[in-house]
Amino acid sequence: MPEQVRRQLPSEPIPQRKEGDDGPRSPDVQPPDTRELLERMRRIDPREARRYRQRSGE
Amino acid sequence: MFFGLETEYGVFVENCTLVDLACAVKAIIESYPYKAFGSWDYSNESPRRDMRGFYVKDLAVDPREEALDRETISRSPDAFEPCNKVLANGGRLYHDHAHPEYSTPECRTLKDLVAHDKAGERIVLMCAKEFSRKAGVMVKVFKNNTDFHGSSYGTHENYLLLRSIPFEAVAEAFIPFLCTRIIFTGAGKVGSELACYKGRKKVRYQLSQRAEHFDSVVGADTQFHRPILNTRDEPHADEHKYRRLHIIAGDANMSQYATALKVGTTAVVVEMLENGWRAPKWLQLANPVKAFHEISMDEEMRWIVELDDGKRMSAIDIQRLYLEAAQKMFPKADGDLKWVLGEWEYVLDMLESNPLGLSDRLDWVAKLQLIEMFKETEGADCDKLKAIDLAYHNVDLNEGLYYALEAKGMTKRIVNDEEIEHAIFHPPTDTRALIRGWLVTHSSSLLKSISWCTANLLVDGKRLKIDMRSLVGADGLPIIEELLNGEFVLERLLKVLPTG
Repeated sequence: MPEQVRRQLPSEPIPQRKEGDDGPRSPDVQPPDTRELLERMRRIDPREARRYRQRSGE
Repeated sequence: MFFGLETEYGVFVENCTLVDLACAVKAIIESYPYKAFGSWDYSNESPRRDMRGFYVKDLAVDPREEALDRETISRSPDAFEPCNKVLANGGRLYHDHAHPEYSTPECRTLKDLVAHDKAGERIVLMCAKEFSRKAGVMVKVFKNNTDFHGSSYGTHENYLLLRSIPFEAVAEAFIPFLCTRIIFTGAGKVGSELACYKGRKKVRYQLSQRAEHFDSVVGADTQFHRPILNTRDEPHADEHKYRRLHIIAGDANMSQYATALKVGTTAVVVEMLENGWRAPKWLQLANPVKAFHEISMDEEMRWIVELDDGKRMSAIDIQRLYLEAAQKMFPKADGDLKWVLGEWEYVLDMLESNPLGLSDRLDWVAKLQLIEMFKETEGADCDKLKAIDLAYHNVDLNEGLYYALEAKGMTKRIVNDEEIEHAIFHPPTDTRALIRGWLVTHSSSLLKSISWCTANLLVDGKRLKIDMRSLVGADGLPIIEELLNGEFVLERLLKVLPTG
């Protein structure tokens, strides 16, 4: 994807690692809109487009 | 402005092969649960008549499709027999080569057009649900233009255009315009379907579902070969006065805003031509087909094309040239024209400065953001991304990804749900669709056949033909207003309208 697109996506700052820390974790909370949309996209069967066949139209 | 849209829908029917799809689609259309009229008058149709002033010998046919047709007919001889539903809203639902096709009624305003286009989604979906209930199989309906395996199906636009404008002027104005407008009309597509691009160039995402399926610049074909400027000449109006500009180089839009902007800007170019504007000679593209493909596939979003004289220009700048000509020609625009000029400028500015800021307006941006959002957390499995692309176009309000965005208020709307529901059963009140819809609702027992420009009736044993060819453009309005100023009954219709 072009950098122009990537640059504008929201990104979380990477937290500084402390001693004994397991490293950065994914944030627990996402904006509700994104979470619901993501969940909806997760539920989509990846085979749907492969088995979707149509006749050529005009 | 006088326009309409035709959309061929994609349909997934559980356990149905490509050979049997035509029969399933026919059954879906026949499942329309409300009053409609079933006999279309084909006598006004001549798809081989060319705007350039001749008849083409043949329209090219895909040999693979021909073989499938033969197999379908061997199993079901009547699979491709006409199947029509002329609707109370003045539109037409019919079977076109294994696709349900919905044609909006003729409209004069963008709001009416968007409402009737959206009504079409709901009409096809209600047929599919009814068929699904009866047949006990899952059916899904998609308003898109590709099956990701190389088959494309159309969304056509129709605009009334004065015949006095020379064909060369039409071609010079519309070829650069159609190739470049996909920067705001494209519906977005994951990947590429054409073998010539598959090995040569990695295309992850492109602006248009349709662009790569176009292989010629001008012609009357629509299926095997697709020209950027289609020259089919079926005016459905007074043929001495009008052409019907039949545009096949567009995507099906889920976004109401994109539909309005696509049709609105194109109608403005028609208006400019009718008011004497001509595209500058230097604006012609060196290779329109190549430019159409390259704009669609330019993931860097620069959208640069080569002109005939070797100079290079961006699609945004080419569109600005049309916009500036329109602003100059219509300085006191109001109504739809004012809306189009304002939004056209806004969108071009945003495409230059912040294209992703248009996710509430343009389909390709909205879909791209969904796909990027998914890739960020879940990865980039190609099949899954194509499935997400397909789901964006699912017209079921509870399943489609576009409708998930709409439910969250993330899309800019032109019409609300009440206006869409109203358009399912009611024609626009300022075009001849009013008469067609009225006849279907109130006089279907007298109707023998009907079309865009004729209604054939049998009244008291006498054959009557209502001729609606003159009821288009500005000419038609006074007659329709006269009809609306009195009792709307058949006797009066026959008095006011030309009959033969």
